[in-house]
Formats: sequence, structure tokens, C-alpha cells
Amino acid sequence: MRADLIDIQVEDRGEEVEISLYGVLGEYQLSAVREKLEMLVRGPGVFFFVNLQNARFTTDDYRGLFLEILNLVKQQKATLILIFDSEELHAYFERYRNIFEIYRSREEYRKSGLSKQVHLVGLHYEKRSISLSPGFAVFVALFLIGWAVTLFVIVVGQGREISDKQAQITVLESQKARYIREIDRLESAIGPMRKLGVVQDTTLLSSFGAIQDWVSYLEYLEKNRREK
Amino acid sequence: MSPSTSFENLEAIARNLLEGLNVLLDSEQVKCSIFLDGPMIEALYNVAKPLMFGKIQNAIRNGALEFLGGGYYDPMLPLFPEDLQMMQLELHRDYLKKVLGAEPQGYFNSSLVWEPGMADVLERSSFDYALVTEAAVQDALGRSTPVSGWFTLEDRGALIRIVPVSEVLSKAIAEDNLSWRSIAEAYCRDGKSAIALLDIPSEPSEIVDFFGRFVDFVETNEVQTRTVGFAVDQLETCGSISFLVSAGRRLGLPSTARTCRELLIRRPEINLHHKTFLNLYRRGRCVLSGKKWLEFCRSLLPVMSPLYFRDMFNRSGMRSMMVRKRSNRLLLAASQLLDDLTGFSGLRVDVCDFLLRGKKILFCENPESSYLLDYRFGGALRALNYKGAKINLVNSWRDDGEPSFAFLDCLLPNVDFTPVKLEQMLYDRKHLLADPYDYRILRTDSGTEIMLDEEQGFANEGRKALFRIKKLFTFLGDAAKFTVSYAIDNLAYVNTKGYFGTILELGLLSRGDVNKVLIDGKNVKWNMVEPLLYPDGKSLEIRDEKDSCVFRMAFDRTTSIFVGAIFGATSSAAPQAFQGIRVFPFWNAPFNVLDRKTFKISVSVTKR
Repeated sequence: MRADLIDIQVEDRGEEVEISLYGVLGEYQLSAVREKLEMLVRGPGVFFFVNLQNARFTTDDYRGLFLEILNLVKQQKATLILIFDSEELHAYFERYRNIFEIYRSREEYRKSGLSKQVHLVGLHYEKRSISLSPGFAVFVALFLIGWAVTLFVIVVGQGREISDKQAQITVLESQKARYIREIDRLESAIGPMRKLGVVQDTTLLSSFGAIQDWVSYLEYLEKNRREK
Repeated sequence: MSPSTSFENLEAIARNLLEGLNVLLDSEQVKCSIFLDGPMIEALYNVAKPLMFGKIQNAIRNGALEFLGGGYYDPMLPLFPEDLQMMQLELHRDYLKKVLGAEPQGYFNSSLVWEPGMADVLERSSFDYALVTEAAVQDALGRSTPVSGWFTLEDRGALIRIVPVSEVLSKAIAEDNLSWRSIAEAYCRDGKSAIALLDIPSEPSEIVDFFGRFVDFVETNEVQTRTVGFAVDQLETCGSISFLVSAGRRLGLPSTARTCRELLIRRPEINLHHKTFLNLYRRGRCVLSGKKWLEFCRSLLPVMSPLYFRDMFNRSGMRSMMVRKRSNRLLLAASQLLDDLTGFSGLRVDVCDFLLRGKKILFCENPESSYLLDYRFGGALRALNYKGAKINLVNSWRDDGEPSFAFLDCLLPNVDFTPVKLEQMLYDRKHLLADPYDYRILRTDSGTEIMLDEEQGFANEGRKALFRIKKLFTFLGDAAKFTVSYAIDNLAYVNTKGYFGTILELGLLSRGDVNKVLIDGKNVKWNMVEPLLYPDGKSLEIRDEKDSCVFRMAFDRTTSIFVGAIFGATSSAAPQAFQGIRVFPFWNAPFNVLDRKTFKISVSVTKR
């Protein structure tokens, strides 16, 4: 292994891995670059950014190498993104620009679309399943748990309110029955006295209920008419 | 004149400097040029009363005083990238203009170094002349006789006037040598002026006295003094110089040195400081722009101070552990700022020619720590930086000019040795397993592993052995912790007896830090002088409380642990300066034919 032919930098941020290549890369360095890239993309990671901004290729063989790396990355259900912003490199990868994802920077890739942003936070679609990154999975789980807890609290709160109201209704109904019984008892108690005229029946009192004789009644009528 | 600021006690120096300047300006007979670096001017500005500044400004207007320009931190410009050179010069010029209203005409650097290419930078910074050593001008002219006046130097279309400083005359005046007059005569022929350079002492108590003696010297001897700018403007050119190089002065370089770059070759500590600086600069330049880039550059400027590029003792250079620790602090502060500005998290492994020696090296970094792993020299750590305390633990100093290492493996022969004998063997670095390794970077869920794998030979008194060693470093992405695992196979068809261990030369502790070494949680009462050998330990702890750094090692089996001091020479030549602590954990490892031995060390560094 002759790894000292190339300058290489790996920045590992969990899901994101940025591999930067430096210097003039020709035939002589090809095997070393292949070996290093294959070794580095085999580890964990979902997004492999290969930064070629400071690299210059003097042979066409590197295009083939990057295709191989792309296949390798795809097999791991990950994404390979090439990062550079030079006309020379754009020309170099022109033939394969529909195959490779090429961006000027990692930031630009992040801002390149909603689906990618969702991807970046850790949601990945596959044909038969959806996989979530640990961070995103924890977030989703917390969200769902929070949602369920809120619903439960609302249901419990409303149930308690309904049972309170029902208790109130029951109390009022029993109170009503008690009052009716009490009134009946009182009426039956004063019934004989009312017949004897000892007790005035106030239940029949109305606007003219207090008029006890004809004279008063006629005076009441007269007065009412005048006022109208 | 130049200051000798060590960025300590600046306020006291500034107060005394103001008093000294007062003595100088009161004399009215003395005219001179003065250079103060940026932090010194800042300190002056903070302590001076308005009337004193008015007096200095009047003296500048009257031509009695000239302020020379230079780098804000007085760096040796040729060692640094051009944009930072310009930044240093512009910052100093702006500050001088703001505080004293003076526009410097001359360039001065207290180290007096010069390399081709500087003319262009100085011309762009509007300097008219530059002071260099007389020896460099003599070399350029092919003369050995005294040189005075000024010369022109043209380089890539840029022109600057070169003014030689007479070191012989400067020394004679500084030492009150009565022969100064005869020395000066050789320079002052044909109406020329001799340029003498006097260093303002760094001790606050000596500054006023220095100015007093200087005024006394001028008045007593009736010497006619001028500012350098005036002398240059009045005189005609003495010719042209085609190629000028100056190794400078007060750098700890031998007189045979041709350029200040020899410091980088002679002293690995200075080289590491310089290359770490360049590495940070290159990384910053790749990823930062605009205000962030300027903010980061400002954090790099103090790292360029000449203090960190001198091979000198007593807090004047990198031989002092205190200066080395301060250089680490500045570098790691800049590194942390870069991490913050770029939002760096995780773990980075950089395979590059970090030391610019034509050899690749592995640089591993996470937000808490960074490591420089030399896989071509026994897979040893060249630096172990703990960002929490801003310290490089592999920071000791070896007088033989070799760099310090950690995890430098060796297989000691199976002989009886005393702690003193063992200390000598370790100092001499005998029986090292330091052949180049092949490496693999393995990314795993738990972190990043650097797998080193190679055959290592061992020879002792005619007996030879061959081992296949797999040395595995496992770095975590978020802590200053790592493990080193060894799997050693005896490939030879002979039994080999010996002690396998690994050397750590740590720049921890400082003089007087006794009783700071604990083994298995117990204080072993190490006196920091005599070597100590502990037979069976499972953990080691070194508590450097002054630097808020605790270094811990845990072993997977009982281990013999050697602890000894590293001493270096002082200015009085006696090897008494405490330069660090040498630790050597080792195991009795009899290797039978095709036998395999495994060892594991866990390392962690924390604040307390």
C-alpha cells in the first residue's frame, strides 16, 4: 500500500462524510486514490461528499474510478456527491454530468431542494421501506409520543368534565323530585285549611288575583280602560 | 532602537517607557528613531496622559523623534504568507497613525532578518527604507570593511533603500566600550552617518535608567545624533545591491547561518509551531471568506511573534517551556476559532505533508483534541493537543535537536536495569521499533481507527528478531480520548526475551510541581528529579493543575511504569531546566516462536 502518493482529507460528521483530494492526480496515483476511496466509503455514512476543488486530473481514468465508487456507494444505499467549482473539472466530468450529482459546495447541496433537505435530516426512501437516521427517528418518535400524550390529556379532561356535568344533572333532578314531593306534601297539608278559607290561596294570585269582590273588580276594569 | 517586549507586564513596561521617553525628549540634544510593536503602542496609549502624547507628537513634528514601522507583532516576515505580512504591516501603520499621527517611513524588524521578495511587500506598504544587518550588506557587496550609508535594492520591479546597522558599534555603545569612537570613525567617513541599534531592556525597572544613560552618553560625548529617516534623506546613495539575505540576530542561530529558515531545520519545536500555523492558515483560506476570514487572520497574528521562533532560554525563546505552552495556547485558540467559524464537528483525518518535509503524516482532529501521527516513524504521536486546556502534551524539549514523541515503541533487551540505567536508555532512544508503517483508515460506528501494520526488526548484540506489529489507534469523534492497541507476532523461529513498552515525552508539569503523579489512584510522591520505577500498575495519572490538564492512562493488564524528568541546558550550560516528563509503561514480553502478544492502553485528557 503506497498511501503517501496523495493528499487526502476525511471529515466524518456521522451521516455526512467529506473526502477531499488534493494535488495533481495522474496514472501513478490512480491505484492509491482507488484504494483510499474504496476504504473510506466502506464505513458508515449516508452522504459521501467528494471534494475535488483542489485536485487536477491528468488522465481520463479517474472518471471510471468515480463511476466505480458511485456504484459502491449506491450498493450501501448512500449518496455520492462531487463537490467542485472549476470549469476544468466541469469539462472533465461533462460526459457523466447526468450520472453524478455535482455541486459547488456542501451548502449548495443542502439548499438544493426540499426532498434533499428532508434527506439530509435523515429520512430516506427505499422501494419497500422508509429508513430514518437515529437523530431523525428520535425526533419523529418524540413528536408522535407528544401527540399521543396531548390527545390523551384532552380526552381525559373532557371525560372528567362530562362526568362532572352528569353528576350535577343527577343532583338537580333529585332536588327537583324532592321539591315536587315537598310541594305536594305542603298542598295536602294546607288543603283543608284553604277550604275553610283560613288560608288564602296565593297560587291563584295574578294581576287581578287580589280582587276579592265585584266592586273592586269593576273599579279595576274601569281604571284599566281609562288608562288605555 | 527596538523594544524587547515579551508580552508580559506590558503596563509596567509602558509606564517606564513613557518616563524614559520623557527623559529623552527633555534633553533636546538627542534625536533618534524608535520602533515599538503593536501591543506596546496599545499599552502606551492606555497608560499615557494626553500631555505626554502631545509632547511625543511635537517631537515627531520637530524631527527629534521618528517612529519606525514594521509588523504589528514584529514578525520575521519571510516566514509567513504574503497576505498576513501585509496585514501585520498595515495594522501597525494604522495604529501608529491613529495614536501618534505618525506615518512611518522606515521598516524595522527587531530580528533584522531579510530575504529576497521583501522589497515588493515593503514597497506596497509604502516604506521608503529598511534596516538590515551590516553583515548581510557586507556579504552582498563582497566586502569585509565597515559599511554605512544606504543602498538601493531592486526586486521584481520594486525598489527599497537598504540601511545597514552597525552591530560592532551598537555593541560598543551598549557595553560602554570606550573604543566606540574609533569604531564609529570608520563608518562616518565622507560625511556619512553610522546607524547604531540599542535594545530597550524588557525589565521595567531598567528602562528609565537605559534612557538616562543614553542621554548622558550623547551629551557627555557631544555626539551629533539624527533620526534614520533624516540621515537617509540627506545622504546620497552608496550603490546598489543585487541579492540580500540576512539570518537576523537574537534568534539563537549560529553565526554561520545564512537565513532565519535554519531555525526551522535546527529546532523541531519551532518547525512544528510554524507548520501548525501554516496548516491553520491554509485550512482557513480554503473555507473562510470576508469578515470571517479577517477575524480568523487576526487570531493568527500573535502566533507570528518572534518569541516563538527564537532558539533561546529564559522566556526569550522556545527553549522555555512557558513560551512553548504559550505558543500552543495561541495556536489552539486559533484552531478553536476556525472550528467555530466553520461549524466543525465530528472527526477529520488529514493525510498530508504537514511538516513540509516531503513526508506524509496523519493529522487527526475532533472538536476536543488533535493528534499528529507519524506513521513513518514507528507510528508515534508528534503532537497531542488537548483543546480544552489549549495545550500540546508532547511538548518537551530535547537538547539533541530531536523532536519529542509519544507512543514511540521500543523493545528493551532482557537485562537487569536500574531506573537510572533505564532513563539513559530511554534518553538515547535505543532499541526503537521505529520503522515506517503502512496505514489504513477504518471508519466505524464508534469512531475512526488508524491501523498501522508492518514488520519491525529488532537487534541486540548480534541477536536479531523480526516482529509483525499491528498498532491500532482508535479516535473518538467528540472527546479527548483514544486507545492504542498492539498485536505483536514473533515472525522469527527463535525465542526472544525482552521488555516491550512505549515512550511518552510529555511537556507537562513545571518546576516545583512535586507529588502530581498518581499510579492506581495513589500518590507515588515523585520528586521530579530522580527516576521512578513502579512495578505493577494498572493506571497512571499526571495532574498538571497549573495548566488545567489531567492526563490519564489505563492499561489492560498490570504494567511496569517508569517516570522520569527531562532536563535541558540552561543559559549557564548546566542541564537543570525542567523540560518535561518521560513516561515509559512496559511489559515483560518473552516471545516464543510464532507467539503473539497483545496490549492495550486507554488514554484520556481532561481539565480536572
